[in-house]
Amino acid sequence: MKQRRTGLLLLIGVIIVLALLPMLVNNYWLRIATGALMWAGLACSWNMLGGYAGYINFGHSAFFGLGAYVTALLMGDKLAWPFFATVPAGIVVTALFAIMIGAPTLRLRGAYFAIATWAFAEVLIQFTSVMDFTGGIGGIGLPPFLDERFFYFAMFGAAALTYLITWALFERSRFGLKVKALRDHEPAAEAIGINTSLVKLQTFVLSAVTASVFGAIFAYWVTFINPKSVFGGDITDQMVVMVLLGGLGSLWGPALGGVGLFVVNRVIWMYWGDTAFYIAILGAAIVLVVLFMPNGIAGLFSRDGAKSGAVLDKAVGKVVGDGQGGPN
Amino acid sequence: MSVVEGKTAGAGDPILVVRELYRHFGGIKAVNGVSLEVGRREIAGLIGPNGSGKSTLFSLVSGTVAPDRGQIRFDGHEIGGRKAHAIARLGLARTFQIPAMFDNMSVTENLLAAAAEGHWQGARDRAAETLALLTLDHVADNRASDLSGGQQKLLEFGRVIMRQATLILLDEVTAGVHPNIRKIILEAIARLREHGITFLVIEHDMEMVRNVCDRIIVMDAGRVVASGSFNDIVRNSEVMQTYLGRPQ
Ligand SMILES: Nc1ncnc2c1ncn2[C@@H]1O[C@H](COP(=O)(O)OP(=O)(O)O)[C@@H](O)[C@H]1O
Ligand SMILES: [Mg+2]
Repeated sequence: MKQRRTGLLLLIGVIIVLALLPMLVNNYWLRIATGALMWAGLACSWNMLGGYAGYINFGHSAFFGLGAYVTALLMGDKLAWPFFATVPAGIVVTALFAIMIGAPTLRLRGAYFAIATWAFAEVLIQFTSVMDFTGGIGGIGLPPFLDERFFYFAMFGAAALTYLITWALFERSRFGLKVKALRDHEPAAEAIGINTSLVKLQTFVLSAVTASVFGAIFAYWVTFINPKSVFGGDITDQMVVMVLLGGLGSLWGPALGGVGLFVVNRVIWMYWGDTAFYIAILGAAIVLVVLFMPNGIAGLFSRDGAKSGAVLDKAVGKVVGDGQGGPN
Repeated sequence: MSVVEGKTAGAGDPILVVRELYRHFGGIKAVNGVSLEVGRREIAGLIGPNGSGKSTLFSLVSGTVAPDRGQIRFDGHEIGGRKAHAIARLGLARTFQIPAMFDNMSVTENLLAAAAEGHWQGARDRAAETLALLTLDHVADNRASDLSGGQQKLLEFGRVIMRQATLILLDEVTAGVHPNIRKIILEAIARLREHGITFLVIEHDMEMVRNVCDRIIVMDAGRVVASGSFNDIVRNSEVMQTYLGRPQ
């Protein structure tokens, strides 16, 4: 109870600081804060399926990029849609693709799903690179809108919404019980009436569409995108590391991991002017977290944080097939 | 004793009818032409040596494993080959021989998950009652993976209770548990039975089979080889020696 109140006070404090931030910092730091909120939201988005359902998505950038490209294409000269109308369009397109990828593969062992999502992102890179209407490798520009505060609050809103959805759906409802049950033991989840294929697909679609919203805002924010900048595998890699670092399947861990790693990234960029070093840190972070802190930062604060990597075990088990599928 | 087929034991139409059910795994004929019936409100015991196909039969009936061929009729529905969740929603619940915990969820959440599909009204109250009935209230907030083996068996039994099922399949729920826990489980079975619930239980403990089961079905090598009352089965020394060893 006491812990819960501390958590709530902390959350209110964070919200107040974030709401006032544009008045407290200059535009340079505001841009960094905007990016941090985006990555926090993306980490939460990946965590919905990866952490709560235990299905590893190695191509989450596909959905981020779909949101970005739909917004870019619809806001272009020919169509000139207003930004806010492009977001729901991106959500619909993303949901359709997620169903197309997820429906056949989520029934199988997690390895098929992991490969399918990775391949899907690769296909989108190739596709947008050769197509004229997407601007090919050169990419595509958007009408510039240079209000940093707008983008800050847009990312803040999207991140807050993603966090709220995660909390309400995965931590506070029976839907969350179903998702966690199937993560931990699919045959037993089926045996208590849970349509595991459907629940997995619903979770995947939710995870995909939240990523697309961040992609849409991102495209409008940076005013120029190309296949690598929004579909690139390094985007997914970062989400995965952020979630692992923060705590797989935890509510606030991934958000913290997202903010933390992004800020490190920017600081390195500030001092060294390039981010090759950051990639090395990313790799080292993965190894260290998996070996020594398999429950991430959130695990250090939870009562059973000592229990090594139990959620990670489930997710890895789904990929390699640890026999958990056996009925006996 | 001859192969017994279609023996009606309970009153009215049987709740479960299995006809010529087959499931092979590669060359292993795990279930090889099983036919049996379970009457309403009956507690039927399923016995047989290790590897005789008892657990596989449970998996076929509950939809966890798809049959190669054969018919399964549960409560008026033809369920052979249906998805496990669909069969569960018709009112069939099962336990697994190796406790199938939701490891990273609390004990209470394990119970609530069982009510998430179909019986959510009052689930929290029923979870609290079930915890008390199974003496798990003091570990309600623990993670399921932190429970002892016996407590895990209790928790899985608790999930079955939460399902409010009409037919319950129990796969060796009392195997290897402390006598106190066994007593709790037996009392819970007796209570549920008063509510008209039917049981099919896989059991190795002949004392429990004698005390609890109305009728016994004996499997060997993927087939039903005998069926009858405890005394019928015990009197048949051939069955006893071949399949069960001596009871005392
Ligand atoms: N999923 C499976 N894959 C391969 N063989 C299996 C599988 N499930 C059960 N078997 C085999 O089927 C036979 C019957 O097993 P089981 O139904 O568990 O017997 P029982 O519960 O009576 O001990 C055994 O030989 C077992 O090894
Ligand atoms: Mg068995």
